[in-house]
Amino acid sequence: MRDRVLIAALAGIGIAAVLRLADWWFRPVHVGQPVLYVLLSLAFWYAVSRIVLGWVNYAGVAKPPVRAVANDMRVAIFTTSTPGEPIAMFERTLAACRRVRHPHTTYLLDDTRDPRFRELAERHGAVCLELLDVPGAKAGKINRALALTDEPFVLVLDPDHVPFPEFFDQVLGHFTDERVGFVQVSQAYYNQRRSFTAAGAAEQTYAFYGPGQMGLFGHGACVAIGANCTFRRSALVSIGGHGIGLAEDLVTAIRLHAEGWRSVYVPVVVSRGLVPEDLGSFYRQQLKWARGVYEVAFTELARLAGRLTWRQRLSYLTIGTYYLFGVTTPLFLIIPYLFLWTGVQPARMSFAEFLTVSAPVAIVGAAIYLVMQRWLCDPGSERGLHWRGMMLKIACWPVFLAGTVLAVLHAEIPYIPTAKEAVRGRFLRLAWPQLVLIGLYVVTITRVFVMRTRGTSEGSLELSAEAVWGMIAFATLPVIASFGTLFAAWQARRLPAAAPWETIDVDTIGGDA
Amino acid sequence: MTRRQRLVVVTVFVACAAAAVAGLSALGSASAGPLSSALGWLGAMTGSIEHRVRDRVAGPGRRARLAWAAPYRDRIDGLRRPDVMLLGAYDGEIPRMLDGVVALEERLDAPLPIIQAYTAWGDRADQQFPLQLVTAIEGLGSIPLVTWEPWLIDFESGRHPELPLRDARDRHGLAAIARGDYDFYIDTWARSAARFEKPLLVRFGHEMNDPYRYPWGPQNNTKEEYIAAWRHVVTRFRQAGATNVLWVWSPHVAYEYWDLYYPGDDYVDWVATGVLNFGPIAQWSQWWSFADIIGTKYPTLAKFGKPIMIAEFGSLAVGGDRAAWYADAIRSLPRDYPAIRALLFFHARDDQTVTYQKVDWTVVGDSAVSDTIRAALRSTGFACPGAARCR
Repeated sequence: MRDRVLIAALAGIGIAAVLRLADWWFRPVHVGQPVLYVLLSLAFWYAVSRIVLGWVNYAGVAKPPVRAVANDMRVAIFTTSTPGEPIAMFERTLAACRRVRHPHTTYLLDDTRDPRFRELAERHGAVCLELLDVPGAKAGKINRALALTDEPFVLVLDPDHVPFPEFFDQVLGHFTDERVGFVQVSQAYYNQRRSFTAAGAAEQTYAFYGPGQMGLFGHGACVAIGANCTFRRSALVSIGGHGIGLAEDLVTAIRLHAEGWRSVYVPVVVSRGLVPEDLGSFYRQQLKWARGVYEVAFTELARLAGRLTWRQRLSYLTIGTYYLFGVTTPLFLIIPYLFLWTGVQPARMSFAEFLTVSAPVAIVGAAIYLVMQRWLCDPGSERGLHWRGMMLKIACWPVFLAGTVLAVLHAEIPYIPTAKEAVRGRFLRLAWPQLVLIGLYVVTITRVFVMRTRGTSEGSLELSAEAVWGMIAFATLPVIASFGTLFAAWQARRLPAAAPWETIDVDTIGGDA
Repeated sequence: MTRRQRLVVVTVFVACAAAAVAGLSALGSASAGPLSSALGWLGAMTGSIEHRVRDRVAGPGRRARLAWAAPYRDRIDGLRRPDVMLLGAYDGEIPRMLDGVVALEERLDAPLPIIQAYTAWGDRADQQFPLQLVTAIEGLGSIPLVTWEPWLIDFESGRHPELPLRDARDRHGLAAIARGDYDFYIDTWARSAARFEKPLLVRFGHEMNDPYRYPWGPQNNTKEEYIAAWRHVVTRFRQAGATNVLWVWSPHVAYEYWDLYYPGDDYVDWVATGVLNFGPIAQWSQWWSFADIIGTKYPTLAKFGKPIMIAEFGSLAVGGDRAAWYADAIRSLPRDYPAIRALLFFHARDDQTVTYQKVDWTVVGDSAVSDTIRAALRSTGFACPGAARCR
């Protein structure tokens, strides 16, 4: 409560600062090249609106109360295996499933046609359901398995996720409220220390699984995330089964909300899974998400908006437009080069003035970011600047852009399972966008230096210094960020020494709830 | 803790807090704030450093060619009583760039050590002390002259509730300045000017005796109010430590009694006026020579015993022989006007401040005129004050 008041107060100051920035930004004297000015304004105000939407979300931040679990709640765990997935990983997952304390049945939804998987499942007391040639990939198999089972609650567990014994103690109690359709828990990883990419990818999730989802919960719109969401069977039945597609989790969540079901977000770590370890896998995962998330905006929100609360609408609109970042980033990247090579300026703004009026927004944003770190799931290990995550996000713009274009064209990308093992990627194939950027930067700086020592007239040298060096500073930030991504691509050249799950000991994992 | 210790702690805390607040406010200004002041300083320094790097890499620039002007540019006493003619110019591209001045200088083959800029009072960013501009002028080897116009209506009422509403400000506005109502602005400007450190010419409230032009004219103010305002401004600058500023008093000599506006020997370093020949394009004007405009006024101007500056010097083309106008004017200076120590070309392309139609004062594009001026500057020796080039 105290934090919500603090956030509301800070957000109030922030919004005043944003209004002042807007009053300054939209002045006729600031219009340079008109078309570029409009584009830059759209990109800039998209970025500012993301910040403000984040504040609005954080203002709703809330945690659910602890609820006791009745022993007679029957629950199933669904986990899936597909061809190509390493069997050694299932060894750990299924062993851990058996140790989950609340009575339950574990089902392995298998289409590997590999008898070793059935043998493995039975050895760990799980039921192997062989579901061959089911369309709709993972979600298709879940729907088929729903028809073959009858437990009133179903946990959908990604096979790389190792549940803790206390998993259901934290979750099932919330279903005593008959209106609750699904309960999502936090997501955490056990391999994030194994590479720059893994650390950055994990950092990108901290805020979402902390204050982000808690804010969505407070607004009545916390969402299901593929791994480790527990559903009420009757809720899934009411929407015709689990949603299918690249954003099957979000699609399922919005349909359940539209049907009037409530959702609960429990901000505890009761399982650990894998985060992409190499840059190639990370890009593939991000492309899948970017393409998938637009379906929320284009298809589901358009269809279901009338049956959602306005807070849910705002939340899903925020989620559904996240990857527009892939359209705005290249614009921000190109503007300094456009100016330094051709002198074309989208906006005639004094660099110093811009910094002065935008600084309050940035300061309030940073303050809210820091205050909200108290709401991280594990503040001790997750606090920080998350600079690796930011570097990877900037590097991902081509991937986000591709996802956006595919979504606008209504074109499909094939279902790509997130790689469970780091795969060898060629350095150049992953790093060329960064290398191109750094090359362009070096050439540009060299040209600027030669021009301004030999070409530029002496009478305009000092009076143009602020604009030129301000633009160079603007161009330098993404170049600095690209070095992190270069390092990630360098690491992806070689395979790690051991498979990540070999570090897991299922006998000791988890705390005592 | 004893009572005495507590008092010491509280006193030290209050003193530190007060010092922090005072430091922050001194860094910035009422209108600009510490952040924009710091960024403005950073911008000026960036330009300055880049200019020095360029001199290293590509060889010395204009500043080295103007080395002879160092005694006036770098030393306040040298600029207070120059023993040579200092040429200069205002160019229409200022404050965006100084290229126009350099181009004019090359065309006339004569150095222009004084560069003039115009700036108004007010809240806007471009109405604060033009640090980047004067730094750039100094970096280019010239002496900056800032014509500083007290437009009181450019202070927003919302930000200055203590001031009268805009409509009511101009009436006896100079009295308000003298009273200290605008010290918030004057002091900030003065502190910035002091930090610039190098000699700086300031022409404040020019043409104060013209009842048709500016709001600080006699239609709104008395002579006494003007003199009080001038003395107040100069005093505030001195109190702020801006001893690097020299004061240029600049009446419009076509109107009578202009000499009664003189604020006093202790408050004035230079006496200036404009000599602009508009020719017959304006109703109130005809083709007047340099001598027609200033001849009978010169003895009074010289009487003050200060160096004299022609702060705006130029002729339009329509109505007479423009080349001859310039040649006659320049050649008459050593003979008839020995106290004139600065001659500033008014070199604006699209000037409509007086005539409500755009007029062109430039000479670079008119080779007949500029060749004539060049020859006149050579024959008078004004083109080679360092005695390096005129042969």
